Order: sequence, then structure tokens, then C-alpha cells
Amino acid sequence: MEKFSYTGLFLFDGLSCFFLVVIALVSIPSAIFSIGYLSPCVSKIKFSLANILLVFFVFSMSMVVTSGNLFSFLVFWELMSLSSYFLVVFEHTHQRCVRAGTIYLVMTHMGTAFLIAAFAILYVHAGSFDFGAVKLAVLSMPQDMRNIVFLLLFIGFGTKAGVVPLHIWLPYAHPAAPAHVSSLMSGVMIKIAIYGMIRFFIMLLGVGPPWWGIVILVFGAASCLIGVIYALMDHDLKKLLAYHSVENIGIILLGLGIAMVFKGYPVTTIVLLGMSGALYHLVNHGLFKGLLFLCSGSVAKACGTLDIEKMGGLIKSMPVTAVCFLVGAMGISALPPLNGFVSEWLTFQAFFGALLSSQGGLKIFMLICVAVLALTSGLAAACFVKAFGITFLALPRSRAAQEAKESSLSMKVGMGILAVLVVLFGIGCGLIMPYICQVAQEVLGIENTLFSFNWFSLSLAPISPISISPIIFVFILAAVSLVLLAWFVLSPRKAVPCNTWDCGYYVLGARNEYTATAYSKPFRIAFSFFLLPYRKVEKIRDSFYHVRSFTYQTHTTKIFKQYFYDPLVGFTYNVAHKLRWLQPGSINLYISYIFIALTILILALVIL
Amino acid sequence: MLTIIFLSGFLLSLFLMVVAKRITALVKTFALQSLFLSLYALYVAVLQRHAELLIISGLIFILKVIIIPRVILRIKRRINVEEDLGLTLNTQVSLIVALFLMYFSYLFISRIISFSSGEAMQAVAFTVSFTAVFIGLFLMIFRQKALSQVVGLLVMENGTFLAALAITGGMPFLVEIAIFFDVFIFVLIIEILVYRINRLFTHIDTTKLTTLKG
Repeated sequence: MEKFSYTGLFLFDGLSCFFLVVIALVSIPSAIFSIGYLSPCVSKIKFSLANILLVFFVFSMSMVVTSGNLFSFLVFWELMSLSSYFLVVFEHTHQRCVRAGTIYLVMTHMGTAFLIAAFAILYVHAGSFDFGAVKLAVLSMPQDMRNIVFLLLFIGFGTKAGVVPLHIWLPYAHPAAPAHVSSLMSGVMIKIAIYGMIRFFIMLLGVGPPWWGIVILVFGAASCLIGVIYALMDHDLKKLLAYHSVENIGIILLGLGIAMVFKGYPVTTIVLLGMSGALYHLVNHGLFKGLLFLCSGSVAKACGTLDIEKMGGLIKSMPVTAVCFLVGAMGISALPPLNGFVSEWLTFQAFFGALLSSQGGLKIFMLICVAVLALTSGLAAACFVKAFGITFLALPRSRAAQEAKESSLSMKVGMGILAVLVVLFGIGCGLIMPYICQVAQEVLGIENTLFSFNWFSLSLAPISPISISPIIFVFILAAVSLVLLAWFVLSPRKAVPCNTWDCGYYVLGARNEYTATAYSKPFRIAFSFFLLPYRKVEKIRDSFYHVRSFTYQTHTTKIFKQYFYDPLVGFTYNVAHKLRWLQPGSINLYISYIFIALTILILALVIL
Repeated sequence: MLTIIFLSGFLLSLFLMVVAKRITALVKTFALQSLFLSLYALYVAVLQRHAELLIISGLIFILKVIIIPRVILRIKRRINVEEDLGLTLNTQVSLIVALFLMYFSYLFISRIISFSSGEAMQAVAFTVSFTAVFIGLFLMIFRQKALSQVVGLLVMENGTFLAALAITGGMPFLVEIAIFFDVFIFVLIIEILVYRINRLFTHIDTTKLTTLKG
């Protein structure tokens, strides 16, 4: 289905336009939000600077997805990385932000280096930067070369997307950036990497051997599980959300992986389901993660902290933010009738279809993937029970939380738009699916007319055993809950105020509340083999029977940092230290290095 | 015939630079070299009826023959540094090395362009320009005073200009103008920098500037 030519500077096919829509859907509310979020607390010049950077950022993202050749793709990719770097270090007076920015910069440039390597190989084979020429040249490339290009691209895009071993910059960069920037970075920017994967793996490289898909599935499954486990352990609101980005990228990759594994199979429904599930989840994640980050900004502004252990009871003082957060949390936890449910349901359907039509080891592997996805959804819901409950319910745990005020109008508008979109994309999925399916068909180059989409059914193909109709499901659930609600509201009740039994204490206060650390303890124990938790207890006693003060700290070991990145960085420093003698500081010597290099090159030319 | 004169003048000035011991001598030789370059450009311009090249030749004359040497000599006067260039290699050895560099460029160029055919003049010009680049580098490496690094870079620039002139009859006009602007700004900045270095360290000996590393 080659509707659009691949030659030219720009490319406006279905996939590009789809991503442009995603960018617009998230960036417009974020921009509105930033008015109320930034302008009161920074100087006019800094505010303008932030706006300029934001425009650059959004512009470069749009240009990446509409680039028609490798070169401009790379240029705008870099522009995107750099403008987002400057937005991350926007509050450059905080050491934390600068450090986060540095980690982000190092990681993203490492990723870009891999991309450049892959693009160079493609260019050498194609003799041109045009996507069209690349697409042709790929056909005549040796399989080994294609595998290398695939791996290079996967590492390059995976770094940006935050696929698991490469995810470490997300929990640093997202909390450091201003809220509307994190919402854009998490909601949109990491999706640009997914765009790159779809564009290059499926459309240009043309889906290679099945193990490509398997690789993506493995990393996707690892990302979603590990992301959500770390999210459960983290009590910094934005860090928690950042880890959820890792999780959701994993879910998107699962859909993409299914599409890639089953591309060659006769049953196109699975491929189509996987692809449209991935695309749908991509836009959904942009919406609810954008929303949640905006809410976290609103909360942070009101409380002056991001530590949820110091919040609580905010639903009374910040009702709009609380409702928006709840909508986002329900969306990301995939509760019907919100949007997260639809896309995860599509992905599940793809997996069920895959289970039915695969044999042997593949079948078992698919089964594991389904289990991982299911576990992830459950843990995500648990995590957002924590995030919402500890932040917004019960009594305020600190003075700042007690005195929190609802945020300004523009912030409410920004959050409100996204919240409404989250609901619309859930309920109106029957109307949105045709467009997404069309994009998926164009991407995969398959035609499937056996679709019927309307408000009530999302049946993909009557001949296959798969038929999905989440909306009916949704309506049943809605009806049941409505009946329950009606019963709850209408039944005669008499309110009797009295004290809760307080275990013998005199006053039940904020210090008696359930904490996030306590809430996540069962998960910490269940996943202790991976999290390697350790704790520190300090007691100061007057006597054996009377403890004057008690300090309890618990931490988890970040195994990727400790066992992979730290040794790597240490090794690099060691090598650099050993090579120090090369750089004695003499200008004359440095120039002679250039001279020697030049001479050797020319000598080589003369001799050869 | 004129080409031969200009080119050999250019080459001669290169060797004069290699044996120069004083800063003033080096800078004045640079002015002489630029004069030859400017004349050569003028000659090519008249020969090819190339108006843009005419302008460029004039620019070379104004910038590299008059302004830049004056700026460098002015900074030399202002910081009141002694004339000695600080030779790491003495003049005799330098001259031998320079000869080798010329032979080396000849070897390299003869791989690319044949000296026997009708393009012989081009090949000679190309060789001279390559020698200029090498000798510029040589000056930067084996002379200690910071000003000689400046002159070395300018000599390299002259070399690349000569190469462009010899092969294609000059680079595009806009590029050429941009490079001129670049070189001019470079000299101005270097003037300030050298002045600053002298103020801070009371000398401009690059071999002693080794504490700037990280």
C-alpha cells in the first residue's frame, strides 16, 4: 500500500500525521498549563526563554516525524535532544537538575551515536539519504548487515524510549524538568523513538527474521515489569511517573513486537491488532502521562515537594487537580471505561490470537508475555492506588500539604483538556479505532476490510476467533456501578459521627496514617530477589523499655546502576586516567598530533 | 611566465619564514607572501576575466598585506615582548625539514596530478600550496612564541587559498568572503588573547602554557 512517495525532504504519510496529532494533543494543554505554572515564579526573561525552548522542542519533534530522509531526521533528532536538555536544566541553580541534565545528555548522545552508525551503514548501501532509496537498498543488503543495523537502531531508539537497561536517565530527567516539560518528554518525546522503530524496523527494513520481534518482545516485557516494580518502590511523585513511562513503553513494545513476529503469518488480524494496540496505547500514554505529570506539577507547586509521604488530604484543598489525577490514574491503570483499558485490551487480544496460532516454544513464550502484561497491569493499578491514596486522601502529613491551594485557572484548563481527552479516547474508541487501524494498515502494508467499528463493537475479523467489544463490556460495568451508586445514594442512611477505635491512643492524627513505604512493603518483599532491599534502623533509648527516638529507613538496590553503569563509568575513568599522559598541555605537541595524523594519512595514500 | 614568478616568490617566502629568527621578520615575510598571493590572484582574474576574483585579490592586499601584519606588529609592540621567536629547531635543521616537507608534498601531488601533461602549472601551484600548509603547521609546532602560532595558521590559510585558486580558479565568492571575514576576526581575537596571556603569565611562550589542561 504505497500511497506516498518516499522521495523528498518531507514525508506526510499516515504514520507521520498520526504522530503529529499525538504531539499536538499533548503539547497544546502542556503549553496552556505552563502559563500558570511558570510565569508567577520566574522572571519575565526566563519565562520567554522557556517558551522559546518549548517551541523549539515541539517544532523539532514535529520535524523528526515528518522528515523524509536520514539526514534531516538526525538533525532534528539532535535538536530535539538538545532543546529538551536545556529544558531539563531550566532550574540550573539546583545541583540536582544539572546532574540530571548531564545524565540525560550522556545517555541521549550515546543513543544518537548508535543511530549515526546505523544511518551511516544505510547510507553507504543506499548511496542516498532518502528513505525511498534506503528502502530499495535494504532489499539487496546482506542479512548480517541488516541484523547489525537493526541492533544498532534498537539500542539507539531504545535509549531515547527508555527500554529497560537503558532507562536510567528517565527517573533523573523527568523530576528535574518543569512539569509541563516532563509531560511533553514523557508523553511525546519518548514516543518519537517508537516512531523511529516503526518507521525503520517495519517500513524501511521491512521486518526481518522473527527473532527481531522476539528481541523487542523480550525487552518490552522486561521494561514493563521492571518499570512498574520500580515505580511501586518510589515515593517521589515524578520519579514514580517516570518509571511508569518505562512500563508503558514496554507495553507499546509488546504490541509492536507481536506485529513484527507475526508479520509473515497468514492471519493478518493478529498483526493488525498488535500494531493498532501499540499505536493506540502510544496516544493514550501520551494523554494520561501528560495529564499525570501536569497534576504532579500542580501538586508540587502547592506543596513545595514531590515526596508523597509529605502530602495527603489534598483532595479537599485541590479538588480539580485530584479529579484530574484520578482520571489519569484510572486511565493508566487500564480501568474501563477509560482509554488505557482499550489499548491494553487490544494488546491482550493480539496475544490471545498469537497464542492460538503459534506452536511449541513460541507458544510458551507468548504465554509468559501475556502473564507479564497481566501482572504489570495489576501492579500498575496497585501503584496508583498508592499514588492517589497517599497524595490526595486522608489527613495532610505536613504543614505545606495542610496549606495547599488549588492551582490557577490556566493550569486547571491544561489538566482539564487532557482529562476530558482521556475519557473521550476511552468511551469513543469505536470512532477513533478506524483511523488508528488505517494507520496500522498503511504501516504494515496489508489490507483488511473485515472491520466493523461502531460505538458498540470493535470486531476485527469475523472469521477469526477474536472479537472484541470493550464498549459493551464498559456499558455493563457502567450500568452495574450506576446501580450500586444509586443504591448507595438513595438508601436511607443516618450519619453518626464518632471516633474510630484508636488502639488506645488518645488522638488519631496524620502520624497514624498508612504510609507509602508501608503500603509498598508487600511488593518489596515479593520482589526482594530483584530489588535487594536493605534497611537501617536507629533507636535511641532512655532505657530498655522506653525508646526516645526511632528512625527507620529502607532502600532498594538499583541493580542496573550498581552492577552495570557504575562499573562501566569506573572503567571509562580508569582508561581515561591511564591515557592522561597523551595530554600534557603543550599546544605545540597538540598541533604536532594533528601534523602526524595528517602525515600518516597522506603517507598511506602515497604508498597504497 | 608570470605564474612561475609569483609561485616561486610564494615558495621563497615560505623558506624565509622557516629561517626567520625574529618576530618582525616573520610577520613582514608573511606580508610579502600575501603580496605574491594577491598578485597571483590578480593575474588569474585578468587572465580569466573574473570580476569576483579581482575583488578578492584586492581584499587579500588590503587585509593580509596591510592590516593583519600591522595588527600583529602592534600587539607585539603593546606587550613589549622581545624579538626572539623561540626556535625549538635551529634554522639549518628547519630548512632541511622544510625541504623534506616540500618533497613530500611533491610526492603526494604527483599521485593526483601528473606533472608532465598540460596541467603542469596547476600541479606546481598545488604542490606549493601543500608545502605552505605543511610549513604553516611546522611553524606552529616548532616555534614557541604564541604569535608564531598565529602566523602559522595564516600561512596555512594562504596555502588553502592558493590550492583553491590553482585547481578551480577560486572558491565560490561567498565562501571566500566568509573566510576573509573569519581570518580577520580570528586575528583580532588572537590579538586580545595574546595580550591577555601576556598580562596573566608575563610571557607568551607556549611551551610554558601547560597548566591549562583539565
